[in-house]
Amino acid sequence: MDPVTDNKGFRISRAELDKWVASLIESATQVIAPVERRGVRAFRVLDSAQELCLADGKTQWSPKEFLFPRTESVFSYETLDGELKLSDPPPTSNDRVILGVRPCDASGLACTDAVLGPDAIYAQRRARTVIVALTCPVAEPECFCASVGGAPDGTDGSDVQLVPLADAFLVRSLTPRGEALIAAGSKKWKAATDKDWAAAKAQGERVAHDMRGTQVARDWAKSLEARFESPAWRGLSRSCVGCSICTYVCPSCTCFNVEDEGSAGCGSRCRSWDSCSYGLFTLHASGHNPRPDQASRYRQRVLHKFSYYPEAHGGKNMCVGCGRCAKHCPVGLDIHEAVHAVMSKEASHAG
Amino acid sequence: MTEPSVNKAPTDAQVFESQIIAIVCNWCTYAGADSAGTTRRTYPSNVRTLRVPCSGRVNPLFIMKAFEQGADGVLVSGCHPGDCHYVQGNFFARRRFAVFRALLDFLGVDQGRLHFSWISASEGIKWAKTVEDVTAAVHQVGPIRGKPGKRKLPVLPEPAKAPRKSGSAADHEAITKHWRKLAHELLTRGAVTTVLGYAPGPLPNQMVPAFIEKADDTARLAWNDLCFSGLVTYLAGPQKVPGKVAVLIKTCDARSLVTLLAEKQVAREDLTVVGVSCDGVKSESGLALKCYACDGEAAAVCDYTVTPAGVQEGAVKSGASRATAADPRDEQIAFLEKLPSAERWAFWQDQFADCLRCHACRGVCPMCYCGSCITEQHRPQWIPTSINEKGNTAWNTVRAYHLTGRCSGCDECTRVCPPRIRLDLINRRLAREVEERFDYRAGEAVDGAPPLAVFKADDPQEFIY
Repeated sequence: MDPVTDNKGFRISRAELDKWVASLIESATQVIAPVERRGVRAFRVLDSAQELCLADGKTQWSPKEFLFPRTESVFSYETLDGELKLSDPPPTSNDRVILGVRPCDASGLACTDAVLGPDAIYAQRRARTVIVALTCPVAEPECFCASVGGAPDGTDGSDVQLVPLADAFLVRSLTPRGEALIAAGSKKWKAATDKDWAAAKAQGERVAHDMRGTQVARDWAKSLEARFESPAWRGLSRSCVGCSICTYVCPSCTCFNVEDEGSAGCGSRCRSWDSCSYGLFTLHASGHNPRPDQASRYRQRVLHKFSYYPEAHGGKNMCVGCGRCAKHCPVGLDIHEAVHAVMSKEASHAG
Repeated sequence: MTEPSVNKAPTDAQVFESQIIAIVCNWCTYAGADSAGTTRRTYPSNVRTLRVPCSGRVNPLFIMKAFEQGADGVLVSGCHPGDCHYVQGNFFARRRFAVFRALLDFLGVDQGRLHFSWISASEGIKWAKTVEDVTAAVHQVGPIRGKPGKRKLPVLPEPAKAPRKSGSAADHEAITKHWRKLAHELLTRGAVTTVLGYAPGPLPNQMVPAFIEKADDTARLAWNDLCFSGLVTYLAGPQKVPGKVAVLIKTCDARSLVTLLAEKQVAREDLTVVGVSCDGVKSESGLALKCYACDGEAAAVCDYTVTPAGVQEGAVKSGASRATAADPRDEQIAFLEKLPSAERWAFWQDQFADCLRCHACRGVCPMCYCGSCITEQHRPQWIPTSINEKGNTAWNTVRAYHLTGRCSGCDECTRVCPPRIRLDLINRRLAREVEERFDYRAGEAVDGAPPLAVFKADDPQEFIY
């Protein structure tokens, strides 16, 4: 996550931003962005730029479903006159822009890329998707990206960065794909000044400072795994009700289930989100379950984010610190607190 | 064989040939249909019959599955009341059908699609007539897989203003003080091994369940209007806390507890029930909707009552005069019921479309204590695992149906739902159906018989041919 040092970029008004978004929609690019509807903010396909919601704060759940859908067919089958016919799902037909992605979510998408990247269906969808990140002007109570290697103005996983200032947005491209995306729109845009970028930098620093949370050190991956048998896990997960809200609102969880849906005549093989918090997730056909209780399932989630993944992916945490799991957990389990509690061998909450 | 009367190639693109599944009992209706055949009665061939031993065997999931797989209509038919081969099967079935029909109606399935009848082995003529009527009704409604145009979604009326505030900080502090003292005493004298209460959570303005096992830890306990979770969830099912437990319950939680006791899921002798004098819990708009009509008094099931004035044994009136108002959901339910079914369907499909299938609604539900949920049954797979319109509609329908006559209206499912699906409206609509039809309210009496586990010979059956 290298900080951007060159101060190239543009300064645009909200009206100019909307105009650019409208021009993208007109050019048959699918624009996916936060929309507020019946009190729920979520990423949706925009019909018009007016729907775009760039207010402070996050969407209820992450935008990962546009790359890794809740459910998708990996192939469909049909038997015609005794012959079996298999067909691939139709490829994504649009170029797509996911806009207004918070840096934590963009970093989460970088994690899904690392895990699902080799999958052909994912890859072709990903190849047609450009990420326009929106940096954070405020930290929400649950946020802790700065303590897990991210930043409120981080660039990981982003192609274009939007910085909301008091009266304008700064725009800069971070990748060649981002450059190409803003090329047409930016012809009429005003260049941003060094002063603008200084304000952006100051904003990022202020938000990081406001954020809760002590650091999760990079070398904790091994120490956490060494605490596999710690009694803290049971206390931490005692109130867990075994739902999957933490994994489904998470921007980086990638586990899925595969089931055939249909009849002998026709149907499809479906890949749907699944969660390590379900007992069924690891249940063997024999009836044996290697993760027989909620404590072992919760431990799996925490260790996957902070130990197994970083060890396999050059030290980067799989938890991006959006804090959604803590915010939405019906009983207030907080992964950030859990990591620290296990490291300090105590569980103060929910214990 | 009877000549099929309508199964010819449509001559006009407008012609719609419906597919209707008739689920019929072996002893009466199936024989009745057979007698229609042997007496050469003709009737529309749109109906495919599915024979079951008894109408009591018809799990409403069968009906749901038929619709899910593309049936335009469903007819369920069995023996006349009193004629059941198994004596009472159709009496139980009648109750289930009544509530399931009300549920599907509320979710926007047109009533013209779902029909029930009692047809005996000798009523071949009635069978033919019923099939004609049902086919005509289904034709009138049209195909189930119509192309829905982009329609304007109904917007629920805003709830009325809350009748009161969710308590004062002074009362919350007083209750906290007395509750800590009681919990301390219960643990010290060994009356209980675990105290289930609330403690501040890791985020600001957050209260989370706390499991206190040492008297010294009781200082962590607190009470205020953010104590949303129903701790009764930890008394049964996979999350059950072992040993002797003292549990703090709100008025709504008491109804869940009473139902669990009625369903023999909780050993009363292992429990110390502490009722809190509750002014209500908060929501974004002030007072939670479930609290509007609640008087907040401790229920009869309580062993102790904690009020701002202190702790008393038994269920004691707090003496607080809390302003109440009509449940604001009733107005929203009435609004939905007035809509044409297609609009109601659009409303709910829009809500269900966002369902992530995180099952938080199930996780927090005190009534969802099954070790293995119907969603986890794979042979056969009743609820599609796919997180789309099909699977989500099936899940949300079944969840609601399984709570019929059991839901206490604690609304935790609705509070925790990330896309804020109005599950509370569905739950309440069904609770009202049960109350109006069977004169039963969940959570009123520990010896109350669950309404779908009993029947009366004269239960209303106005919806059955």
